[in-house]
Amino acid sequence: MTGPMINDTPVKTNERKITIDPITRLEGHGKIEIFLNDAGNVENAYLQIPELRGFERFCIGRHVMELPVLTNRLCGVCPAAHHLASTKALDAVFNAEPPPTAKKLRELFYMGQYTHSHIAHFYALAAPDFVLGPSAPSNKRNVLGVVDAVGVPIGAEVIKHRSYGQKVQEIVGGRATHPVFGLPGGVSKQISEEERANMEQMAKSCVEFGKFTVQLFKDLVLGNKDYMNIVLNKDAYYLETYYMGMVDKNNKSNFYDGDIRVVDQTGKEVQKFKPSEYLNVISEHVEPWTYMKMPFLKKVGWKGFVTGPTSGIYRVGPLGRINVCNGYTTPLAQKEYELFRKTMGDLGVTGPAHHTLAYHWARVIELQHATERMLELASDKSITSPDIRGAYHEPKEGVGIVEAPRGTLIHHYASDKDGLCTKINMVVATTNNYAAINTSVRQAAKALIKDWMVSPGLLNKVEMAFRAYDPCNSCGTHSLDGGPALQVTVRRKDGSVLTKQRNF
Amino acid sequence: MRTLVLGVGNPILSDDGVGIHVARKLKEMNIPGVTIEELAASGLELLDLVVGYDEVIIVDAIQTKGGRPGDFYELEEKDFERSIHGSSPHGINIATALALGRKIVSDKMPQKVLFIAVEADDVVNVSERLTQKVQEAVPSIVDKIVEEIKKK
Repeated sequence: MTGPMINDTPVKTNERKITIDPITRLEGHGKIEIFLNDAGNVENAYLQIPELRGFERFCIGRHVMELPVLTNRLCGVCPAAHHLASTKALDAVFNAEPPPTAKKLRELFYMGQYTHSHIAHFYALAAPDFVLGPSAPSNKRNVLGVVDAVGVPIGAEVIKHRSYGQKVQEIVGGRATHPVFGLPGGVSKQISEEERANMEQMAKSCVEFGKFTVQLFKDLVLGNKDYMNIVLNKDAYYLETYYMGMVDKNNKSNFYDGDIRVVDQTGKEVQKFKPSEYLNVISEHVEPWTYMKMPFLKKVGWKGFVTGPTSGIYRVGPLGRINVCNGYTTPLAQKEYELFRKTMGDLGVTGPAHHTLAYHWARVIELQHATERMLELASDKSITSPDIRGAYHEPKEGVGIVEAPRGTLIHHYASDKDGLCTKINMVVATTNNYAAINTSVRQAAKALIKDWMVSPGLLNKVEMAFRAYDPCNSCGTHSLDGGPALQVTVRRKDGSVLTKQRNF
Repeated sequence: MRTLVLGVGNPILSDDGVGIHVARKLKEMNIPGVTIEELAASGLELLDLVVGYDEVIIVDAIQTKGGRPGDFYELEEKDFERSIHGSSPHGINIATALALGRKIVSDKMPQKVLFIAVEADDVVNVSERLTQKVQEAVPSIVDKIVEEIKKK
């Protein structure tokens, strides 16, 4: 194979050629195992995602106050989400109530996170498919191709507004990427008027960029019949699952605080729970072939990798959130939400949108909402108040939940009387979606393997199933060719290998 | 000439944090004329940190077929050209972030980027410590970087 060559000893040399061989460690990549029956059709398909080991061991015995800083190390992409879920868990552990200013600052910080995270997602992940088309060559279908297509100035605007979101996080949170400001009952830093005014200016620009991004999506997708056919295609990436997401008391979408709402396949509410009640609602199913557990709705039960009202599988993330809410508290996002509902309705969709590619549309609406909310909070002069810490009490046990960009995120800690962690449980967004991801992978496999014939597009289509959920695996190892490192093995009923494909 | 040494990795994920450990050792040495930074994140954050420098040395963990933990390699941007892609926002990886920077803020990008890629053993167990072979390689890695810096 071509490519650079490596010298494996650190000897100073004039030789310039190096080769990098692909990664083969099984732990570093996702493995898909497909089992065929005697007729050569798919019996089962399993996605094994490697997981971090020992995090719980690592945390037990540490002071709970360290957890917001430790848990945000779990993820380099949305550490802010872990930091806030952890901080809210500490509110509950210490029975502490944050004053209004502290709540506003936490939410403002979080809107900075959503802004830069969703901008990166859209322009790096969704836009390439939409701007360049799913049949564009894969080495063009990336953010660089988008910049080529829409122009360098747009690329610069993407970077600029992404960095505004980061800057808001840094001003409020103390550090751009790994925030340090959450405390039980409040936050650690007061905002000056100068900082507030600066954030207000940045937020104004972000609202405009949000509008631009929503419009770009609409121009590219809604006006394009071929795309709409892909989005609405029921054979691929369409699952009638339950949906879960956070809402305020009026059932409007809220990423920072509220109750968690679950709706069924018709959109009817089936559960609404407070963070402390999550164990009454969610159970975890264990399979012997993977470390990652699979949450499901306790009330409905585990019926395997099938979807529908009798199976407790649910989905979270932008699609989950838009399906459980009845709108947004900010005007521009609300308008886009109404268009979303109307468009779906005109296409015959009643109730929730089950089309996986609708995740992308929901995401740009959320981006608009996050920028508007960021401006609302940054324009509020009271956020410079020094009243940023409430009273707290003896530590016991508590749960904190936020909506991470990828979905519902739960942190649950127990503490002894000295504040040392005795128990920790976390349910992260991708874990919530894991059963659905497996179901999608199975669906893709069944469409592509029939009567012993394995389609050459198998790997790609399976990767798309995986990718639509944007799963966040802590060991998100990537192959040299850039995608998530994936190996697909197709086996006969007796376990012997029919064929193996991998992208690394 | 503005030089940046950037240690990349997750400090609680065993050998994945080797870049961070190396950066911390370098910081203690107080080398004049060079900035040392840590980055425990992926994606576009990298771009924010490298703009404005003339030369950047990035230290990170790598796993290769047949690689021996503790070995380290000197690589360049062009060695990663194959891994520029768009399949996941987590995968706005180093190569893609740098390529994007060269496209849209080319006048602010460093002229030279050198990667010191350290062969890792364990990147799945949570620990603030490196595995033995990787830990033993740290002094050589530090020496190599100091040598690179002094070349200017």
